[in-house]
Amino acid sequence: MMLFADPLFGLPSWIDAIIRVLIVVLAMTLVVVYLTYGERKVVARFQQRLGPTRTGPGGLLQGFADALKLVTKEDIRPANADRWVFELAPYATFIPVFLVLVALPFAENWGVRNLALGLFYVFAILGLNIVGILMAGLGSGNKYALLGGVRAAAQMISYEIPLVVSLLCVVMITGAEDGMNGVGTLNLNLIAALQEDRPYIVLQPLAFLIFFTAMLSELHRAPFDIPVAESEIVGGYFVEYSGIRWSMFQLSEYASMWGFSVFGSVVFLGGWAWPFGVDAHWTIQLGTTLVKSLAFIIAIFWVRTTVPRLRIDQLMNFSWKVLLELSFLQLIVNGFILYYEWPQELLALTSAIGAGLLIFLIIRHATTRSTSGLVGTYKTLGTASQ
Amino acid sequence: MATEVLWWIFAVLITGAGAGVVFSRSVLHSAIFLIGTMAGIGAMYIFLTVEFLALVQFLIYGGAVTVLILLALMLTRADPSGRPEKVNGAQMPFALLVGGGLLAALVGVAVGTSWPGNNDDEPTNIDITAVSDRLFADFGAPFILISALLLVALVGAIILARQEEGE
Repeated sequence: MMLFADPLFGLPSWIDAIIRVLIVVLAMTLVVVYLTYGERKVVARFQQRLGPTRTGPGGLLQGFADALKLVTKEDIRPANADRWVFELAPYATFIPVFLVLVALPFAENWGVRNLALGLFYVFAILGLNIVGILMAGLGSGNKYALLGGVRAAAQMISYEIPLVVSLLCVVMITGAEDGMNGVGTLNLNLIAALQEDRPYIVLQPLAFLIFFTAMLSELHRAPFDIPVAESEIVGGYFVEYSGIRWSMFQLSEYASMWGFSVFGSVVFLGGWAWPFGVDAHWTIQLGTTLVKSLAFIIAIFWVRTTVPRLRIDQLMNFSWKVLLELSFLQLIVNGFILYYEWPQELLALTSAIGAGLLIFLIIRHATTRSTSGLVGTYKTLGTASQ
Repeated sequence: MATEVLWWIFAVLITGAGAGVVFSRSVLHSAIFLIGTMAGIGAMYIFLTVEFLALVQFLIYGGAVTVLILLALMLTRADPSGRPEKVNGAQMPFALLVGGGLLAALVGVAVGTSWPGNNDDEPTNIDITAVSDRLFADFGAPFILISALLLVALVGAIILARQEEGE
């Protein structure tokens, strides 16, 4: 069932849809332009530099200057590239990201469409993102691009499972709320509204940690930027692209970062409903969502500047041997607690213990070197061994 | 009316992409056309107001199966540039027979069956809670059996792959 919000100004619903899509596209472009600027500024701050300062006051026009440069650059296609696969790959990467933005609630009834299956929709559509990346890797006629494509596909398929399971944990909890009669919901607007009193990160810190890690991996952000590692495979799957097509990849990367941040803040941080309540004015709701997604994005930059890149085997081990088990554990424990209707504090307690276990595993691995025997095998799992 | 026009547009697109899968001279192009076909069928489900089925179609056929095909192509083919190659071998007449037979069977079943909920030419929307009731309550035991079967198949595949590696 598709729930349509009331059309703006009483227009027919398809004109209303076009207006809403246009607003989202414009907002996305502006956000992406300032995200590239923001990333440079934040990373520069972490590295004790200044970042862009010359273009406009404080470098504020840097993003537009970059965009202008990219548009006027020559669009080169390698002679041995597969023409149509190569040329369509940037669009195949971008369209799923854009389709995801259509389902996100930025404030109450402030989204393009309020889908009853919104959460399922988001990760079903995001799965199509891999197709564009594989097309770029295969169509470029370049060994480095091919390697980047294989790495990206393997990584995204692996991390999609913990991501989806951690989201399922939250969907299970929504069924236990007052007035839901034990039936959970996939509607993102409703999930946000149900968190009026407390965000789900309080009840599910482990699921949130798993979601955040898997999100970094799906976005190819450091420390999981293995498919686009400059020092290993000269930039990965988009190595042969230039000019406008390269900027399409960049656009979809930053747009999906923003989309994921809004999505994560709706599912785990209470979206527009917490802490000001569902009856707050729409400006406050919109501001809450934007501030929360900004916090997400700054955390992504922070992790990028702090943690060195993993090796591909460490990445796979961490997904299949740590995150997957912990996410299933969270799902099963949730099932027991919700089935027997034990108090919700127990959810928060068990999940916090799990989150502590995950952090303990990571820290212990980062501080030890031994890799022999059964214990050593478990020590080699996790992040940051370099 | 608008839905009907869109339906026909997508029908043409799906058939075109399907023809692309068969007649394309490169396996890579066939795989990409297959993604187009699968995504188009997913869009068809949306016109029929079964969003859950549409999303499952996108997730499993668009996102997983065809990606695995592309990944297999990447790992096995020496020439990734998509140049024309010989794709039709000696099995062509048999493939034609199987394809034609399947088409005839599907068309026969689709035309010859009286489908429930087809009385007033309006698609019936099925709520996701109804789907989950059928899946987890009415058919709970077969569901568990199928998941056990899949797990066994997965473990078996891993054991076979590991054995080859060890020898």
